[in-house]
Amino acid sequence: MSTILYHGEPAGPSLTVLAALAESGVDVDCRPINLLAGARHSLPDISESVALDMGVEGEGPVLVIDGEALTESVFIAQYFDEMGAGNLQPKDAYKHWEMLMWCRRVTERGAPAAAFLKCQAYAQPTLAALSDADFASITSAIASDDLRARWEHVRAGNFPSEQAEDSRAKVIATAEMANVALADGRDWLMGDFSIADLVTYAWLCTDLVPEALEGRGPLQAWMDRMAARPSVQAALARATVSSPDKSWAPGPEINRWG
Amino acid sequence: MAEVTLYHWEPNANSGKPMLALMEKDVAFDSHYIDMLNFDQHKPEYLAINPQGTIPAMTHGDLVLVESTAIMEYVNDAFEGPNLMPASARDRLRIRWWMKFMDQWLAPSFSMFGWKFFVGPNALKAHGQEKIEEQISRIPLPERQTAWRKAVFGLFSEAEMAESGRRISVGIRMLEEELGKREWLASDTYSLADVNGFNLAYAMPLSQPHLANDELTPNIMRWLRAIYRRPATRDCWKLGRTPMASRVEILEQDYIPPRDESEGISSGVR
Repeated sequence: MSTILYHGEPAGPSLTVLAALAESGVDVDCRPINLLAGARHSLPDISESVALDMGVEGEGPVLVIDGEALTESVFIAQYFDEMGAGNLQPKDAYKHWEMLMWCRRVTERGAPAAAFLKCQAYAQPTLAALSDADFASITSAIASDDLRARWEHVRAGNFPSEQAEDSRAKVIATAEMANVALADGRDWLMGDFSIADLVTYAWLCTDLVPEALEGRGPLQAWMDRMAARPSVQAALARATVSSPDKSWAPGPEINRWG
Repeated sequence: MAEVTLYHWEPNANSGKPMLALMEKDVAFDSHYIDMLNFDQHKPEYLAINPQGTIPAMTHGDLVLVESTAIMEYVNDAFEGPNLMPASARDRLRIRWWMKFMDQWLAPSFSMFGWKFFVGPNALKAHGQEKIEEQISRIPLPERQTAWRKAVFGLFSEAEMAESGRRISVGIRMLEEELGKREWLASDTYSLADVNGFNLAYAMPLSQPHLANDELTPNIMRWLRAIYRRPATRDCWKLGRTPMASRVEILEQDYIPPRDESEGISSGVR
């Protein structure tokens, strides 16, 4: 069985899966790609591409098993855990439900907000500097109309101020949710270390919203514990640039029902 | 064993998912019908159970669970009975992908059409504009009031409806292609993805007959009929109280010959 993990710089969803991979001990062929150059849309030897083409997460990592592309960082992290060490998900059914709910809240609310702000700060200048022809060669390979539209909005600098404000508020709300969970002195969000820690850390790792950490002692201490975790360090060691958290490409969309 | 109570609306969409999962696992539960169009979910007795005021919610002893897809995973993990997730981790990853895609990309579009052409008009007919306005004005959060007005009175912009229409058409094509690969959605065994997908898609041949029918989407029709025939689905639908659960006779027949478009019941949907 051939298994390849195509990933971006260790930030956001790529950080989640690279750290989960290190935790799991699973052996996979990891191949870094430049997400902002559109490399995700020209991967070789893909026989089933629906998850790559239509994933809700946007420009996240792609796991290719025998030619089948599989996406969504939380589910890839679960896959590695289930194939490997099996210590990233609670065994108790209710605690597992709590972890799933937590991950969904982060990926559905916090992640689109963080992606919006990071694209504005880091992806827009790069895309704006491309010639129309070079940009068109990227977008013409994107199968999903709404993902292509997000790329076009980023390049055009279409970042309405209300959405920027709302995005900051949602990043802060995610930080507050984590801070409240950690307030009882626990080391990790669900009690035991889990995918919830990886996902939350990966999306909160940014200096764009400094007030998210301000005055939140338990959260700051947890961010330090996460940064020191060997799996996170192993993921960050795969960076090919000096500031991987500033390497970004269009992410999940903002919920259409608000 | 601790008792299970499910607070649900009609056996479709989000309410239908945990209902059908419980029925498939043969878990005994108290059914507590929440009349969403009577705004039961905003009444104090329900908010005491689920302060978010969302439907469905499930209690298992002292535990309270919300969010339909996560409840289904809990039901499958916590109870005996047939496993609704396959043994292969790769299959489970594919199933989770499809459930997220349906929950977050496709279902919101179906729900916009459902509200505009079916639920909204039915609610208006049943309760009248004045009573509905009054109920909406009692919802505590202003943004929820806006969302409810939008939903009940069908106040979606043309651009929103067009985008939802595009997604429905793309989503149906994707489902048809996926169901051409395997007997069930995303794996070779009946799973939570099928429970999820059926509750999203069972009305498609009626609401979108130009997109979902025996000629264009034979795999979808085969799949819907197979799930419709399952005893658990039948039991589940007995818990419905509105015409919603009785309007899919189309799935009881093996094949529906094409008919003149002028007879189509969906003219309002185009």
